[in-house]
Amino acid sequence: MPDAMTGIVFDIRELTIHDGPGLRTTVFLKGCPLRCAWCHNPEGMTPAPQLLHSPVGDRWAGRRYTAPELAAILNRQAPLLTDGGVSFSGGEPLMQAAFLAAVLDRLEGLHVVLGTSGWAPEADFRRVAGRSDLVLFDLKLMDPEAHEAWTGVDNGPIQANLAVLASLGKPFIIRVPLVPGVTDTEPNLRAIARRVRALPEPPPVELLPYNLAAGGKYAACGLEWRPDYDEQARNQVNLQPFHELQLEVRVL
Amino acid sequence: MNQAPVSPTATPATLPPRLAAMRSRIRAGEHRPLRVTDSIDLLGECEAEQLSWPLRVARLTRRMCEAQTVVIDHDERIAFTRTVKRVPEIYPPGTLKALLAGRTLHELGPISNLCADWGMVLGLGLSARRAVALASRRRLAADPAAVEFLDAAIETIDAVLALARRYAEAARQAGRADLAELLERVPAEPAASFHQALQSLRLCHAVLWLGGHYHCGLGRLDQYLWPYLEADLEAGRIDPAGAEELLAEFFISLNKDSDLYPGIQQGDNGQSLMLGGLRRDGGDGVNPLTTLVLRAAWAVALIDPKINLRVDRHTSLDLLALAVQLTRLGLGFPQWCNDEVVIPGLAAAGYALEDARDYTVAACWEFTIPGRGMEVVNIGAVSMPAAADRAIRAGLAAGEPFERILDRVAADLHDQVQVLATASRTLLLPPAPYYSVLMDGCLERGGDLSQGLVYNNFGIHGAASANAADALAAVKTLVYDQGRVAPARLLAALAGDFAGDEPLRLELRTEPPKVGNHDDGADALLVKLFDAFADACAAAGGNGRGGRFRAGSGSAMYYVWLASGHEGMREPAVGATADGRRRGEFFSSSLAPSPSTTVRGPLSVLQSFGKLDYRRICNGGPLTMELADSLFQGADAVAKVALFIRAFVKSGCQQLQLNTLNVDTLRDAQRHPDRHRNLVVRVWGWSGYFCELDATYQNQIIGRHVYGK
Repeated sequence: MPDAMTGIVFDIRELTIHDGPGLRTTVFLKGCPLRCAWCHNPEGMTPAPQLLHSPVGDRWAGRRYTAPELAAILNRQAPLLTDGGVSFSGGEPLMQAAFLAAVLDRLEGLHVVLGTSGWAPEADFRRVAGRSDLVLFDLKLMDPEAHEAWTGVDNGPIQANLAVLASLGKPFIIRVPLVPGVTDTEPNLRAIARRVRALPEPPPVELLPYNLAAGGKYAACGLEWRPDYDEQARNQVNLQPFHELQLEVRVL
Repeated sequence: MNQAPVSPTATPATLPPRLAAMRSRIRAGEHRPLRVTDSIDLLGECEAEQLSWPLRVARLTRRMCEAQTVVIDHDERIAFTRTVKRVPEIYPPGTLKALLAGRTLHELGPISNLCADWGMVLGLGLSARRAVALASRRRLAADPAAVEFLDAAIETIDAVLALARRYAEAARQAGRADLAELLERVPAEPAASFHQALQSLRLCHAVLWLGGHYHCGLGRLDQYLWPYLEADLEAGRIDPAGAEELLAEFFISLNKDSDLYPGIQQGDNGQSLMLGGLRRDGGDGVNPLTTLVLRAAWAVALIDPKINLRVDRHTSLDLLALAVQLTRLGLGFPQWCNDEVVIPGLAAAGYALEDARDYTVAACWEFTIPGRGMEVVNIGAVSMPAAADRAIRAGLAAGEPFERILDRVAADLHDQVQVLATASRTLLLPPAPYYSVLMDGCLERGGDLSQGLVYNNFGIHGAASANAADALAAVKTLVYDQGRVAPARLLAALAGDFAGDEPLRLELRTEPPKVGNHDDGADALLVKLFDAFADACAAAGGNGRGGRFRAGSGSAMYYVWLASGHEGMREPAVGATADGRRRGEFFSSSLAPSPSTTVRGPLSVLQSFGKLDYRRICNGGPLTMELADSLFQGADAVAKVALFIRAFVKSGCQQLQLNTLNVDTLRDAQRHPDRHRNLVVRVWGWSGYFCELDATYQNQIIGRHVYGK
């Protein structure tokens, strides 16, 4: 892989809590093919660096790194990350699959977590998931039409990559963002539970309750936060469908 | 191996109803009306009898003990409540001045910021200490100074024993046979149970404060109290829950009188204790009491005592997670000390290995050896920003290469240390007969504590180091390496406090490397600053008391005083600095990135400060971080922060203070103090109630960089 290959990162955060086991540093890769109505990282949507405007001043979101540069930053932290590792999130990290694979090839002994929507060409998915130690795989909506309506994309590739992931023999976890009245409905959670149950070795499931701060960064991105669902509606943190199918489930 | 009596994190620690009520009464100040005596008159008799200084100090202790009204609260199991508010003068001001005759006192005067050998005191009892004093008195009968000192020491012992007797009698009369039996035995006799040990400690420790001493450390509590608890547990006299309850009551009792203690701010009282760490013999000192102390502090959730925990790579994650529960409460402690760094540092500074392993914090963060250190751990501080700023301005004006600026910094630090060292040689420590009773060897040799112990070093802090390193990094990068900023432009901007050149200020603030990002461009300069400072301390030689000057990294109040000026500082306030800081803006506190730096995160901060050679700066001074309280909202958060403590050990940093705060909460507390009376923040070596702090400090805390978003 050429050293000149570059990628765009909109944040590197240390001591992240929700991005995998142990002590972790998370790299947020910029750009996402999905447009989830509840997205709380709107600065991760577009691929190019963008200037954010906030009352305390302007700030660039998105900085270009070469793969060796980013790998060097992470490797320099490796001595402190032996009880954890690095995680890649976004945006959708697989939007920059070639760059990410080049970074992963340069990491020295770091445990790698990939957090992904699963929406990517199969080759890209294989390339990155195959170089990861743990995959956090989102399942948002099982109904294809609802998925397209709320995220802007068809969930066919996601389902296909889930099958690929199950065949890789990698540890993985299914993650479900609970959006009031959208993803937290009983039919959707039951459908997700059935899908997970049907996998050869059903992985654990993690439910992420809705975060009311989701709209916080839209204004800075020049976007209007106007969700088509009732944010204040009661969030259904329903473990029953998973328990009924003897799945391991927990709430983050 | 000892079996842990309770699983560390099994259940949240809570107070039994009796103690919950006691805690509420004390927080509400219901015991304060019992303070019937404002101050006693001592001067008259001291003058009439023309007492010597040692005998005046002994008389002070005695009269303060005598003047206490006995308070037996109906449900207390550990007694003592102070009822005399103020410590009286023992010399008229003019006489004291003449007595000093060119010498100077440290801070308020009385010996402070030390740790007694509490294990020895509890184990022998004061009657045995009295017998030692009498034996020395017979042996040294021909030495009038020794006889006078020993008479003074005996007077203080008798005063404490008389106070205990009055408490015992009152307890009898109140029908509290249990308390009476305790106080009839201790502190006179060796403690024979965990309960007796706590009662003995409460009284002996409280009397130190009555005599005007302050920042009186409690030392390695889980080490010296464990033998009593272990024997009680084995004999079935107590169970772990009972022990936890007694500890909790002891901790509540330490909050009774703390508003009367001297300090820069309420809460700055240095009632600190140390847990864990290596034993003197090199074995692991963590024992079941370590866990119980943490649980009791969790249940009590008050700012005293301030908990310190010694850690190394073997410290169990369970213990770390339990300790992190205190951090999560926002108490500002525990403060973490890395045995793997501190012990070699003290050994390199000349401490015997067994003593180095026995270290504790004196009060805030400086390291000392219980019973063996008569050290003045904060004799002063050098202003690193002043050194950097003077070097930068002079070097740029003279058109010198950057290396010459670094030479100037080293010379400036050398001069600052010389000034402090010279001034410290005039230091006069007043006699301290009662404190001497509690130390190793004073009664045995017939010499007062103020004459010294095994270790007699002075500590000098290197304050506001990150701003100084950032200023040097900015000059090196923008003026020398890149040539983007002309020296004349920078000099003019500094002289004018950046008026008219805001673009340059922003460039200085955002472009160059900054300490805290694991970037050698700035970190290497931080290392050079401390190397030069350590060289300067080494070159200062002896302190005239058989000790040397230890370099440290704390800043106490200096981060404010160096910026805005203060009568307590020798160094003038620093104006605008080359890191893009305007005149008057605060510096970094102890070891921390500059307040205006946006850092990558807490791991990078560890890595930046892990580059320092702490063997040469063994006085102490914590890396200080604020973690947003949102960090603690995840299910695994406590375990993750425990792993972060382990990363701190691996990083090679020396000492760590973690605060938990939410900026919105702090702002709300400023607007509505009534709603946030119990909001605790840690400001330097201490925790305080936020609403009781001056607005200046409140604003500084709010303005400090918050890690995590």
